[in-house]
Amino acid sequence: MIWKLQKKTLLPLQIFGYGITLCIGITIALITLTIYTDLKPILQSESNVFNDNAVIVNKKISILSNINKDKIYFTEEELRDFEDQDFVKEIAKFNKATNFKIFLSSDIFNIGSELFFESIPDKYLDIESDDWKWEKGSDFVPIMMPEDYLKLYNLGFAESQGMPLLSEKVISKAKFDVHLSGSNKRQSFKGGIVGFSSKINSILVPEEFLNWANKEFGNHKENNPSRILVEFTNPNDERIIEFLKEHNYEVNKEKMEKNKLIFFFKMAFVFVFVIAVIIILLSITLILLSINLIFQKNREVLINLYFLGYQIKQISYYYKLLISIVTLFSIFISLMLTLMIRRMYSEKLVSYFDFEMSNTFIYTNVMIISVLLLILLNILIERKIRNLILR
Amino acid sequence: MHVRVQNIKPKYMSESEISGSDIYLQNQIVFEKRKKYLLKANSGHGKSSILNFIYDCNKNYTGKIIFEGNEDDSIISVRIKKLSYVFQDFKLFPKLTLWENIKIKNNLTNFKTDQEILNLIDKLGLSEKKDQLVETLSLGQKQRTAIIRSLCQPFDFLLLDEPFSHLDERNIEILTTIIDKELEDQNAGFIMTTLNNEYLFKYDKILNL
Repeated sequence: MIWKLQKKTLLPLQIFGYGITLCIGITIALITLTIYTDLKPILQSESNVFNDNAVIVNKKISILSNINKDKIYFTEEELRDFEDQDFVKEIAKFNKATNFKIFLSSDIFNIGSELFFESIPDKYLDIESDDWKWEKGSDFVPIMMPEDYLKLYNLGFAESQGMPLLSEKVISKAKFDVHLSGSNKRQSFKGGIVGFSSKINSILVPEEFLNWANKEFGNHKENNPSRILVEFTNPNDERIIEFLKEHNYEVNKEKMEKNKLIFFFKMAFVFVFVIAVIIILLSITLILLSINLIFQKNREVLINLYFLGYQIKQISYYYKLLISIVTLFSIFISLMLTLMIRRMYSEKLVSYFDFEMSNTFIYTNVMIISVLLLILLNILIERKIRNLILR
Repeated sequence: MHVRVQNIKPKYMSESEISGSDIYLQNQIVFEKRKKYLLKANSGHGKSSILNFIYDCNKNYTGKIIFEGNEDDSIISVRIKKLSYVFQDFKLFPKLTLWENIKIKNNLTNFKTDQEILNLIDKLGLSEKKDQLVETLSLGQKQRTAIIRSLCQPFDFLLLDEPFSHLDERNIEILTTIIDKELEDQNAGFIMTTLNNEYLFKYDKILNL
């Protein structure tokens, strides 16, 4: 009977409006979260390399550089200048082997070649390997090669010269002899390739090893880098391009663009998600205003019920139940829409990437949203009725 | 349950307005169970106020009202089990039918059977109006509905605020009989306010406000 009475107090259009707005807001939020979660591994594999916003910078090689090789090195002053720019977060120098010879040979492959080594701080590496370490006295030197070298060999050299193709695994198992000589000393080590970097176009060894080798075999000259790793606070900053141009510096533009793209992509996600949250908040505001209007318009009915002996819990139960059902129904529709859209785009994604189709995180999100919304709305409705009746 | 009223004064009335009252500003007045009280006063002297204070739907007073024997009960529990009130403005729900207005109370208390309620409706000549929306009823019909509704619960006191103001003598007579019987059955009393109708019941005490 009390439900019949309270049913007559409702404003159906407003409650319907709440359901629709909530549904739209939650659908957008869920789809954004879902797409973001689905694409995150792909984004990360593309961008994780240099802490998201870093690129390798070197000086442009001109005719003059042929005559004076010092021109390709960054001076202390230039490095400081770089560091002082407020769009630069951090810079890291490429450490290189100076003035000693490195010779790499392999009995199995029957090859031998002179070589160069560089190193960068470990945190900028895109490959993780347990073998990536060297201590003084250790006989084994881990080496990291650019992925492009392997591609060049397999797709170019091996193909045209009738040599066998080599996979990363095969190469990783091979051991080389590394001979260092300089300052009238020579020493041999065992070397092995522990990873292929897709981002750093250099032959890398651990920093500890190169520091030691430079001290042992090098000529102790000041070691200025020819390449540096620069991490930007925001790769989208227009001043970056200007600064690089002005100083005749070069970057890998493709990487820069990719980072920019990822940055925009993330910003777009954040933007859409914020919009969704605003829509959800608006829908909650709408229902609270509607409820307030319903309660104000029917204040006498609610108070009379209270005077008849109905408790506030009993009086608010109908409204709480109704709003909870509308809320859950809207969320359910949102869930269905999200799953449907996800199925549509995942069919495409699966053909491009290794894509794991699990809905668990969507259900978790839906559960969290539902529980939070229901708790919030139920508390607010009962509080409103209590205030109205007891004031 | 007895109702003990101590030093009551409506905040919105001056002392001169209530001077000489048998209740207001009296150290102690006890309304005893099973007894019938008539509160007399002219309009504007706080007749409805004292009933509202007792029913706790108006807290705009100073002083103390104690439900002796039910001190620890919530006001909701007292309203369902000990006090029933026929409001002067009835407090019916216009969008519900006469029958629904009565049932909405009885559903809460389960005090009377549907048949008992139907008998009361019949006695008061409202059978034909049973399924009509209350907003379409006359004042007299509404008043009778409100009185039937107030009887659909257990009580120690029935609070009657000018309960017969819109009724003809025949209906008043029927209602006094019904109320008397209900009081007897429930071993209860009432506190009634009125402008006249002093002859209707055999009162235990008449108090001037």
